[in-house]
Amino acid sequence: MEHKLANSLIMTVNEKKFIESALLSDIRVDGRRPFDYRNLTIRFGSEDGSAEVQLGQTQVLGFVTGQLSQPYRDRPNEGSFAIYTEFSPMADPSFEPGRPGETAIELGRIVDRGLRESRAVDTESLCVIAGKLVWSIRIDLHIIDNGGNLVDAANIAALAALSTFRRPECTLGGEDGQELIVHPPDEREPLSLILHHFPVAVTFGFIGKENTVVIDPTHYEEAVMGGSMTATLNINGDVCAIQKAGGDAVSQTVIMQCLRIASVKAGDITSKIKDAVESYNTQRSLRKIKRHNPDQQGSSSDVAKRHMERLTVGSDQSGIASQFNEHDKTNKRNSTLKGFSGGPASWDPYSKGVDGDALRISLASRVAPVDKQKEESSQVNPETKSNPKSSETNSIALTREVGLEKKQSKTLKDAVKPKHKRRNKSNAS
Amino acid sequence: MEYVSPEGLRLDGRRPMEMRQLRAELGAVSRADGSAVFEMGNTKVIAAVYGPREVQNRSQQINDKALIRCEYTMANFSTGDRMRKPKGDRRSTEISLVIRQTMEACIMTHLMPRSQIDIFVQVLQADGGTRSACINAATLALADAGIPMCDLVTSCSAGYLNSTPLLDLNYVEDSAGGPDVTVGILPKLDKVTLLQMDAKLPMDIFENVMQLATEGCKAVANYIREVLLENTKQLENRRGV
Amino acid sequence: MQPTIMEAKPSNLVDQLVVPGDVILDLSNMANQTLKLGGGLRQDGDSICVMKAGKLRFMKPNKYWVESSQKRYVPSAGDNVLGVVVDTKPENFLVDIKGPALAFLPVLSFEGGTRRNIPKFEVGTLLYVRVVSANTGMNPELSCMDANGKAAEYGILKEGYMFESSTGLARALLSSPPHPVLEGLGKKLSFEIAVGINGRFWVNASQSSTVILVGNAIQKSESLSLVQQKIYLEKLLKSIQ
Repeated sequence: MEHKLANSLIMTVNEKKFIESALLSDIRVDGRRPFDYRNLTIRFGSEDGSAEVQLGQTQVLGFVTGQLSQPYRDRPNEGSFAIYTEFSPMADPSFEPGRPGETAIELGRIVDRGLRESRAVDTESLCVIAGKLVWSIRIDLHIIDNGGNLVDAANIAALAALSTFRRPECTLGGEDGQELIVHPPDEREPLSLILHHFPVAVTFGFIGKENTVVIDPTHYEEAVMGGSMTATLNINGDVCAIQKAGGDAVSQTVIMQCLRIASVKAGDITSKIKDAVESYNTQRSLRKIKRHNPDQQGSSSDVAKRHMERLTVGSDQSGIASQFNEHDKTNKRNSTLKGFSGGPASWDPYSKGVDGDALRISLASRVAPVDKQKEESSQVNPETKSNPKSSETNSIALTREVGLEKKQSKTLKDAVKPKHKRRNKSNAS
Repeated sequence: MEYVSPEGLRLDGRRPMEMRQLRAELGAVSRADGSAVFEMGNTKVIAAVYGPREVQNRSQQINDKALIRCEYTMANFSTGDRMRKPKGDRRSTEISLVIRQTMEACIMTHLMPRSQIDIFVQVLQADGGTRSACINAATLALADAGIPMCDLVTSCSAGYLNSTPLLDLNYVEDSAGGPDVTVGILPKLDKVTLLQMDAKLPMDIFENVMQLATEGCKAVANYIREVLLENTKQLENRRGV
Repeated sequence: MQPTIMEAKPSNLVDQLVVPGDVILDLSNMANQTLKLGGGLRQDGDSICVMKAGKLRFMKPNKYWVESSQKRYVPSAGDNVLGVVVDTKPENFLVDIKGPALAFLPVLSFEGGTRRNIPKFEVGTLLYVRVVSANTGMNPELSCMDANGKAAEYGILKEGYMFESSTGLARALLSSPPHPVLEGLGKKLSFEIAVGINGRFWVNASQSSTVILVGNAIQKSESLSLVQQKIYLEKLLKSIQ
């Protein structure tokens, strides 16, 4: 009993009353007006398909990965995507480790519905061989810090991560034309997903007896509010999903008013995401210039053939490796050493002995500093090119990991994992 | 595919604004404190309510109001393809949460502090609109159990196919991939407590569809009211008044 | 040994930043003398070690402690804190003071408190209280009276809003000379403030906007240096006018 009391958010009577009474004079505890959104920053990790979203105090990480798998039987020529949420117990004292709770599931379902039912992700373009092999996309949403309004932050993280995700290009080839070739990223530029539009979730809270509407509630307001509504809209003003799961009842006019406000906010947020993605892409292409260094070309394809085993789609450490090269002397020594000892030059020092997940976490935790470094390194780029050491830079620059093929020459039959279990996605209701 | 014929009839012969046949029966489970069976066309759900009773897990007890719990399940035989679904999958967890919060909006929880009310709903036949049917059944079961409520929550769904707003979708229409709006209202206050929707829909059309679903809710509310009045009358007769 | 050499020389780390593991005093070459160790210090054999990162403080003649800023509060007797009532028991109110355990506030420890006039606090009431005793292994005990049995300014805080801060900020707000931001705001605006050393402060004013402004300004000032604080304050005061 005492344990539980200590863990839940303790709200004083004063705070509850104050939040309500201050709202009557159109002001909120953090100084916002009822329809002000909190400060939104979107940062990207050094890998493709990872994003960190900070909304006020709320922090959410989004990771997108892809894998080749068998399609669902009822949709033979469509790729699939799934959303996994992780409410880390570090984010809030009330989150408990173990199976995802109700809120985690609801959050995942809201984000999922917004993306899926409005067909924001073009799943048909994810098909490799109809009925046999498609890309299945996995979106992981990790809540790092709970400052309220997790749904919106998670939704933005998912969108941002999806729009920077890239998958290696796949073609059929070989002697009988049936062999699957996954082109390593340095041979052919990996493809990004096709997103038709950005469904942006905007959450409203209804507080107090008068059901005063506030946008983007903080976790204090969430503890006070009687009900909430999440509207997912895109920039064209189309409603993609709405979730108002019970709670205080409001009239239809209020709902329509919320939708109109949400559509304006959705426009703002969409342009914010797009700007962030664009600047990420420019930086990425700057890095790419380095990667396509002519004297690197020959060996790298060779290397790619040999080291397909640990290929995870879209993980591109070139950025971080080169940064370490410039910023971290010891690291450089390390990696060059390895490069010479182990035959092929383009080894990422990290993919040996460090498992992908740990790497990902460690990368995630450095997102902020890396970002700064990235800016620096992009300025340094031209110099590095002329630098005699540039071949070293390149030599560490590349590794890709994908889950499926051991060798490139593997046949398609081996590549497809038998998947007997069929998940029935068309629910009865 | 054509879901509305040129004559303005739907696949099952209804008009776009027509609801399916409603049927309700109170007291279907003898051991429960309150129970009801609710049918909307071929969709059939059963709800049972236990409580208010002592809180089972003392750490969940709330000092100033009642604890509401809800469990939504689908019977294995409820859908066309019969299969074993793992208990507590993501969809039913979410629907349980939605039903619980919707019922919380109308139950006067502050009148029963430190107690617990359990709502169990099970889908016996699924033909679209299970969520709505479950809420209607739960309302009836709560009324049967004599739990104080400020209003009767009712729910109904509506969709938009072949540029026509359609009331109360059945399974075929539901799985067509068009928009699906589920609304739950407090009819006396005319306020919306539950609103779920997916798929893309321009805002003005959405307003129409929501309006249609709200009208459906009101129709359901009238029916539920009649059923309750009838049931109360019978109880009076039984007592020999 | 030779007391002439070993004068009571304070550690040369006084007023320096220390981290866990630092040895501030070596007792082996010191005379027999009494040392008083405060929070963040411990004796390990012949040396006095640091347990927390912070600033080492010394007070004549022999008191040492480490001053640090943290989010959690470690109760110690004599502190004035802000507590939130979380439960009521026949003998005690259970009060959260951000410490490792809930604190007990005996129902009789109010001015003129008898069995007949036990105050009624609902859950979530905010209190300004004094820590009477804090021993490990026991829940800390609180009181709403000063040492003379008078209510002084202890008791319930009505209206206003409680902000969270670190213990360091709370100490800075209570220090003299007064905190520059607090002093500056106090010259321009009229508001009430109560600071608990446990990292909470409560602000009340006739207008909610004043409360919000003061609260956020104080919270923000923590991350600023003295010069920045002054600039920030000037900007803020200009924006008010």
